[in-house]
Amino acid sequence: MNIFLHELRFYRKNTLLWILSLCAGTLLLFWMYPAFANNTVSLNEVLKNYPDFIQKGFGLSADKIGTIPGFYSFIVTFLMLCGAVQAMMLGISVLAKEATGKTADFLLTKPVTRSHVLSAKLLAVFTCIVITSAAYIATASAIATAVSNAPFDFKPFLMMSMAFFFLQVIFIALGFMLGAVIPKIRSVLPLSLSIVFGFFIIGMVAATLDQKNLYYLSPFKYFDTITILEKSTYQASFMIMGVLVTTVAVFTGYMVYTRRDIHSA
Amino acid sequence: MSIVEVKNLKKYYGNARGIEDVSFSMEEGEIFGFIGPNGAGKSTTIRTLLALIHPTAGSATIFGKDCIAHAPEIAQSVGYLPSEVFYYDGMRVLDLLKYSASFYQKDCSGRIRELADRLDLDLKKKIDDLSFGNRKKVGIVQALIHEPKLIVLDEPTAGLDPLMQQRFFDLLREENRKGAAVLFSSHVLSEVHKLCNRVAIIKEGRIINVDTISALQENGYKKVALETKASANELDFAMEGITSLSVQGSMVSFIYRGSVNGLLHRLATLELANVTIEEPDLEEIFLHYYQ
Repeated sequence: MNIFLHELRFYRKNTLLWILSLCAGTLLLFWMYPAFANNTVSLNEVLKNYPDFIQKGFGLSADKIGTIPGFYSFIVTFLMLCGAVQAMMLGISVLAKEATGKTADFLLTKPVTRSHVLSAKLLAVFTCIVITSAAYIATASAIATAVSNAPFDFKPFLMMSMAFFFLQVIFIALGFMLGAVIPKIRSVLPLSLSIVFGFFIIGMVAATLDQKNLYYLSPFKYFDTITILEKSTYQASFMIMGVLVTTVAVFTGYMVYTRRDIHSA
Repeated sequence: MSIVEVKNLKKYYGNARGIEDVSFSMEEGEIFGFIGPNGAGKSTTIRTLLALIHPTAGSATIFGKDCIAHAPEIAQSVGYLPSEVFYYDGMRVLDLLKYSASFYQKDCSGRIRELADRLDLDLKKKIDDLSFGNRKKVGIVQALIHEPKLIVLDEPTAGLDPLMQQRFFDLLREENRKGAAVLFSSHVLSEVHKLCNRVAIIKEGRIINVDTISALQENGYKKVALETKASANELDFAMEGITSLSVQGSMVSFIYRGSVNGLLHRLATLELANVTIEEPDLEEIFLHYYQ
């Protein structure tokens, strides 16, 4: 419990900052909604001029973008990107900071098992993303309701918002694994950014090529917003894949870290 | 029962040697010195005992329990002070010490104050505002906070001024009187000499000698310094048992091991202005082992 609280205290400010930024971003993006909703016809003209791959890659289509769920399916992609970066950084840094701060000796000579340390840390960063996601979903729902001039279908909206949380879970697991496997990670931010953007680009390429099989390579595509928008459902095969990736990553992290040599500073 | 029992411990980092074959045991209430130059394997041995690294072969027990398998249980009664201490920079000293104390099944709050007072440590400061020496003091308090039965110190005195070193040694002696065993690794022999009952000498990953300090000194070694009337010739000292010979003009010094009579007979043949024969200090014996 002491490690858990220590970690929570450590990430308190960081998490608060992420929540504020995410909410501000959401607000900013929804700001554009009235402009899109009132000009569906001219928007159609504009979109026609964009190459096919941009429309497909970003999941853009004019007839959808005029509704709240449709518009949201477009902007939530960017917010997911931010959420994934936050989760990745949390996952990596929760172990990496002990190595770079050279505090691993202190912590791991205490009367606790390494598994206990890992669980406490994982639970702490998981709590951070639960709070972040909850705050985000609440804010997004409130803003969406406020800017909408007509009632809208809340189910796909909520499902896309929940996808934000699920993505954070997957990325925190991936980050946790990296932090456990790589002995010393000095630059958490560049590493997180490159991995998250890497997956994001793979997802865009897969969507452009219309290759559903490639969707398995990018967690961003496990929760394809277009599908959720059209069918109000997650796809079972991708959900299973998501659970699998998360489990394997966390398991690998535990296996490696509990057996690893901790080298001196 | 031995407090620490190390049996044929071996650790390789890939192809690089950490330690080759280390065996020794520490008895209850002992202050045990662990000496050797940098890279001999002192830290590797200690880090294995603390379960920070896993041995390639061999085993070690602390309080009769395997040091890897029962690491958390053992750690309840072990205090560790590394040569360089690092803590969470953003925390205040008191918060860090409380965090450290929270791992042990003991109330340590009184103990924090007491130790901080004795070491002149300001509890309100932030860790990253502390000097190297003050950080070290945090390390000392942190290692002794739970009144451990075994105190493990890995080259602990770096950064402490002589006065603080003295207080630190006093603290260690006090803990020792209360029953704590101390494993003290160092390459500074004078401090080992001051504090320890027995020492293990480690060289290139192997223990080459374990003995009491007094036995090491009484090993028959004599340190001889003399001044000849004319300038001295190295050939005059070509004699069995003489090592570390240095001849500078009329000043001669060497370490001698062997019959004192033989030495005096030889010296009597020389025209001497002055002579001293004394027990060598630990440093000189130590250097002898490494030749």
